[in-house]
Amino acid sequence: MSEQEKKDDQPIEPAERVRVVQEAAPGGEEEYRWHTGLNRPTGVPDAIEFIDVHKAFGRNKILKGLNLGLPEGKISMILGPSGTGKSVCIKHMVGLLYPDDGDVLVHGESVPNLRDEELFEMRKKFGVLFQDGALFGSMNLLDNVAFPLRQHTDRSEDEIMGIVNARLAEVGLTDAGDKMPNELSGGMRKRAGFARALVLDPDIVLFDEPDSGLDPVRTALLCELIQEIHQENGGAYTVITHDIMSARRVAEYIAVLWRGRIVEAGPAEELFNSDNDFVRQFLSGSAQGPLGME
Amino acid sequence: MARSAADRTIAPARDFFEQVGDMMILTGKTIISAVRPPFPYGGEFILQFLFALRLCWFPLLISTVAFGYGAPGLQAANFLVLFGALDRLGGFFVLASIREFAPLVTAIVLAGVAGTAITADLGARKIREELDALQVLGVDPVKNLVVPRFLALMLVTGLFDIYALLFGIFGGILATLVYHAPLGPFWATFFTNASVTDLWGSVLKCTCYGAIIAIVCCYKGMTASGGAAGVGRAVNQAVVISFLGIFAFNYVFTQTLLATHPEINVIR
Ligand SMILES: Nc1ncnc2c1ncn2[C@@H]1O[C@H](COP(=O)(O)OP(=O)(O)O)[C@@H](O)[C@H]1O
Ligand SMILES: [Mg+2]
Repeated sequence: MSEQEKKDDQPIEPAERVRVVQEAAPGGEEEYRWHTGLNRPTGVPDAIEFIDVHKAFGRNKILKGLNLGLPEGKISMILGPSGTGKSVCIKHMVGLLYPDDGDVLVHGESVPNLRDEELFEMRKKFGVLFQDGALFGSMNLLDNVAFPLRQHTDRSEDEIMGIVNARLAEVGLTDAGDKMPNELSGGMRKRAGFARALVLDPDIVLFDEPDSGLDPVRTALLCELIQEIHQENGGAYTVITHDIMSARRVAEYIAVLWRGRIVEAGPAEELFNSDNDFVRQFLSGSAQGPLGME
Repeated sequence: MARSAADRTIAPARDFFEQVGDMMILTGKTIISAVRPPFPYGGEFILQFLFALRLCWFPLLISTVAFGYGAPGLQAANFLVLFGALDRLGGFFVLASIREFAPLVTAIVLAGVAGTAITADLGARKIREELDALQVLGVDPVKNLVVPRFLALMLVTGLFDIYALLFGIFGGILATLVYHAPLGPFWATFFTNASVTDLWGSVLKCTCYGAIIAIVCCYKGMTASGGAAGVGRAVNQAVVISFLGIFAFNYVFTQTLLATHPEINVIR
């Protein structure tokens, strides 16, 4: 007999009745009290748009009507408590996951409706750093970073090694080129994944928590590196993080994600001065506010 | 309450059939991408082939000789001695070893040794998001990972079938010798019963076992979720489903072969 039916069989205590009613009735409203969904204009078109995206895994609803636009040519940050579906968002952008409902647009093209060959072409625009680096365990770092070049360009092996070594030097892994991924620390894997994501100078770059597992100094250096590379190459960069310091340093656009929807989004300065309690709490990293342990 | 009880039994069943359906789809995709150019999987195919060969030859040798000697060999010889018909052991080994035990022992060893390695490897890559990274970098995991494993396992099981039936028959010879009987009658009844149909039937069946193992193990690896424990679960389920698939397929294959080749029904 299920829990629910047990309750139905027994006379309901008054107190319990009240609790049940409170849970059921205003639920939708209460849950999204802080979600103004306010999207302050940036003045540039969006490289990536989420339009009313819903996504559930079994009964576990992750995205519940997500509307989000990431502006072209800027470094955007998606902030939010862990487990809210930030990584799931990234996988929607590159067509690794498909929305149950709604649409994801990349440069105006609907990702879920692309045919396989079109998706393959579209993915060439992307550089992705996955949360744990996602290096290929059977290759050393040099081969890992060279992989996109070998896959997508006709460059000579000398040229490729030149580029790869330069990229590895940028992330401080000059001497680790011949190491296998399982010989490295999590932070080093992350930096190698970072080098691999950028090796093709992609138009759109997605970083999933590039700074987790790094020490504060390396985090600061990595943030500088992101800014430098962005200044050189341009393009739409999206960084997922919960590190507020990183956000303050590099973000030009910020979107705060919680419970499957955007709480508020807009240019960084405006968000840091937002009067939304949830946004304020999250951007100051305070224990006081609407977000609890849950 | 009736509904929830039904849910509890129906949900896992539905889940199982969904997975079987997904595996059928994966089989179709694998065959299509195997024949449609380009063909980037040659290197991986050779690696996987050698890998399965290196891993399996010794366990398979032990299993087939021991099994051939112990199960059909000693047991059947014991029975046949009753009628003074030990020479019939050779004929029996056509039925037992060539048609059934050689493919089956090969499949069991291959699933246990190479299949689990495939699931564990792909599962670990899935968990580390390597498979996602591959896809984003424009590499199709079906074409580059599943197809070479599928082809390599089919080839390996086909070849190992012959290897297994040779060593299986060797087990039968051992049993005959243990009963102090001459080998002439063994070979005589063996060759009056053996036919070309038996041989290609055995090899074809075993090759299909290889295909089943490859698809099930690749599917389970590529859909692993839930960290290291999830990979363990996937390996476990891969073996169970491979065996179920093999036994179910064996029934269909044997029935069909006997119906379409009635001459092999006649024991001489
Ligand atoms: N492939 C999947 N299958 C089932 N559940 C998933 C899958 N991917 C993510 N989830 C679930 O979605 C939720 C959000 O995950 P994730 O996007 O990784 O969060 P985060 O915001 O920390 O990156 C988690 O509860 C996770 O269990
Ligand atoms: Mg994440």
